[in-house]
Amino acid sequence: MSDPKFVIGMRDAFFNALYEIAKQDKNVIIITADNGAPTLDQFSQNLPNQFFTVGIAEQQMIGMACGMAVEGKKVYTYAIAPFVTTRVHEFNKLCLGAMNLPIVNLGVGAGYAYDIMGPTHHTVEDITIMRSIPNMKVHSPADSSTAASLAQISYNDPSPQYIRFDRTGIPDLYSDKNVDFKSGLIKVKDGEDLCIIATGIMVHQALAVASELHKEGIEAGVIDLHRIKPIAKDILMKCIQGYPQIVTMEEHLLAGGMGSAIAEIFIDESITTPILRIGQDDKFVFDLGGRQAIWEAHGLDVAGILKQIKEKLILPIAR
Amino acid sequence: MDILQESKYAVYENKALWLRNKVLEMAVSVNSGHVSTAFSQAELLIALYHGKILNYDSKNIKWDQRDRFILSKGQGGIGIYPVLADNGFFPLKNLENFTGPGSVLGVHAEWHVPGIEVLTGSLGHGLPMATGMAQAAKNDNKKHLIFCLLGDAELYEGSNWEAATFAGHMEYDNLICIIDRNGQGVLGHTDLIESPSDGPRLNPLDDKFRSFGFDVRTINGNRFEEIFGSLSDVRQRKGKKPLLIIANTKKGKGSKLLEDQRLWHYRVPQGKELEQVKKDLNS
Repeated sequence: MSDPKFVIGMRDAFFNALYEIAKQDKNVIIITADNGAPTLDQFSQNLPNQFFTVGIAEQQMIGMACGMAVEGKKVYTYAIAPFVTTRVHEFNKLCLGAMNLPIVNLGVGAGYAYDIMGPTHHTVEDITIMRSIPNMKVHSPADSSTAASLAQISYNDPSPQYIRFDRTGIPDLYSDKNVDFKSGLIKVKDGEDLCIIATGIMVHQALAVASELHKEGIEAGVIDLHRIKPIAKDILMKCIQGYPQIVTMEEHLLAGGMGSAIAEIFIDESITTPILRIGQDDKFVFDLGGRQAIWEAHGLDVAGILKQIKEKLILPIAR
Repeated sequence: MDILQESKYAVYENKALWLRNKVLEMAVSVNSGHVSTAFSQAELLIALYHGKILNYDSKNIKWDQRDRFILSKGQGGIGIYPVLADNGFFPLKNLENFTGPGSVLGVHAEWHVPGIEVLTGSLGHGLPMATGMAQAAKNDNKKHLIFCLLGDAELYEGSNWEAATFAGHMEYDNLICIIDRNGQGVLGHTDLIESPSDGPRLNPLDDKFRSFGFDVRTINGNRFEEIFGSLSDVRQRKGKKPLLIIANTKKGKGSKLLEDQRLWHYRVPQGKELEQVKKDLNS
């Protein structure tokens, strides 16, 4: 920790917190599909009966987790995000969802985190497919404090769950704040002209966008929606009450993602506040050059998002 | 088989005949259910439950020390419900409402049915689940066994081979797999290649599983003597390998009309066909 800028990755913050729980409860099991982490080594070295690697065999990982969960274990499975979601969707549907078992799928590399690795490793449909599974809860932390809190939250909750982590290098949001993560959403910034609801890394983009808007006299509120299913509807409604317009921001396909989930609530609750959904259109991304380059190419960088907001929303004039 | 042997198994033979008739009755009543697969596995299930190869207590279904049984070929649900009912897991009368409103007895077996541990019906799930149960038993130092009955055509699902790789590696000596080797899928045969609907080949199945680290035994899975013989030592086996029984069976066993014939995977006999099957079974 000599570098003051160093922020532990979400996954590692989570595993460190989970390790403390697993030391006390031998029924906490981790199964990995040949994915490692420095913080995972403490499980394999010190809790060998609670750590299993099945090789690159995700169906086996989920099926085995099911068999152990049926026998009373609390099982965490771990792989790169596409491989605990799209790769094993049917196993998730039946073993986690239909059987409603205490299994938590941990996916690292949400959105375009594995930027230069292409569509095989991009995970921009996981929110859609995981939230479509009945009983499943979906977490999308924006920083390592949130990720660490999810160890205890997920342990206490017997529901099937999916946690999508970003990779290392994501700035800290909450480590010096007293935040209650249980409601699944956090009002990060006040502002009355529009409200941005963001998830994962896009919370940081939202804050940057809000900062740019502020320079132009426009005040945007920002909400970190770190639990996408179930959404704490009543709390969200209170947070967005009075806003003339809403923006959702996700590094994810627009089809069925977080913005869709918000729009569904609006329709169901007869809320007529305009929503602008910002995310990825119906396309695969083959662009190289890094995450920023992908964002720039697809309108997800700060400038691109500002452009969309200005074009599509009625912003306050002459402020 | 001598007369003594024959009488020894007569009670089970009679149960298997009762089971086939019951399956037929249930399927015909709703024009649904996999009759031929239920006929194929009949002796195996009668031996496991009526023959008490499995340790279980139908009055204490979640008894901690019970052997776990996974019907990975979940389409065989219609063939296990009468077996469970006849052994006291739930009233026989419930069979009359197979797939009906308020019933838990669906086409595919699932865990709301007393005695069914997990949800199956999508093939290739049972064996991965069984490895998890095997590991949980190891972790908890429990001595019960995990039995998993798979269809042979189910083995086309790659997840089975993921699980087999792991089970062999982990030396799950508490895992007993039984393959209902009737040599047929939905469209055609697994190894008797006569038309484009047949295959791909599964053989040499025994060598495949041996190479994955299993002890392998091959039996006639429609003969009680061989089933009991192959499973008599399951609690005293030496070595550290999972056990795999290749139970050679006939799909539709018991009826000449159905036996080894294509077409009957999910077809329920009606009219004259039904009369023929009844005659076959009970002649």
